[in-house]
Amino acid sequence: MAKLRHIAIAANDPDAMAEFYKKAFDFKEVRKSDGPLAYGYHLSDGTIDLAILRFKTDQTGKGLDYTGLHHFGVLVEDVAKVAKKVEGLGGRHYMDQGADRVGGFEVKFYGPEGVLFDVAEHPWAGTEPLPVERAAAE
Amino acid sequence: MPKLRHIAIAAEDPDAMAEFYKQAFDFVEVGRPNGVLADGVFLSDGTLNMAILKFKTDQLGKGMDFRGIHHFGVLVEDVEAFSKKLESLGAERYIDQGQGGNQAGYFEKKFYGPEGVLFDVAEHGWAGAEPLPTPIKEAAE
Repeated sequence: MAKLRHIAIAANDPDAMAEFYKKAFDFKEVRKSDGPLAYGYHLSDGTIDLAILRFKTDQTGKGLDYTGLHHFGVLVEDVAKVAKKVEGLGGRHYMDQGADRVGGFEVKFYGPEGVLFDVAEHPWAGTEPLPVERAAAE
Repeated sequence: MPKLRHIAIAAEDPDAMAEFYKQAFDFVEVGRPNGVLADGVFLSDGTLNMAILKFKTDQLGKGMDFRGIHHFGVLVEDVEAFSKKLESLGAERYIDQGQGGNQAGYFEKKFYGPEGVLFDVAEHGWAGAEPLPTPIKEAAE
């Protein structure tokens, strides 16, 4: 089964917000990023990537001043296969992020009611792999 | 370590949205909450609870027509201890819910963190969510 492995929050001040969640829940900082789409931090609870980001473009149509939960990400075995399925169900393809970037290839979609989500084959930093991958590695 | 175990989406049509995620990712329906705050569908990927909800109040201050990811939830060992910690870090307590009410057997506290981001803290896992990992010492016994 596909797994929810990424939650992204839009923040004005990612430095302060990341510090809050590190102190509050002992989440670990696994990466600081500053790419074309956003600046911020990736924290991990050992399973999920919690990205706290200041976005550089308005991906959700809520305005660049929007702060709050922004999108989520699902780890799958086969992105191409899931992408076809998602589009067949009415999901709208937004963009592909290149395999050459830190974090690897992922595809962004708008699902029902414009909810944005990512689909990726490569686990986000600090997250658990799919259970089958773990079993195969043993 | 506390664990992210819940993500809630504000939807106009929770049934249709839940159907999409069930079909897209094989997430399994684990409940149909009907409470004072929201109605909707609980899905699970085996680890997290994904709640797709039509909210009845404007919890975020973004209006009742807000659509999108609404809040997340963190499973902890001791809600009271974490509540104190969160408040000392500047989080604002919003509401307690459950405990013999409409969601018996389940208790959580809602907080606003930095920049008004809403999150829940709970000891009793959300439907379909994985419990906290068993401490290594206890597991070995």
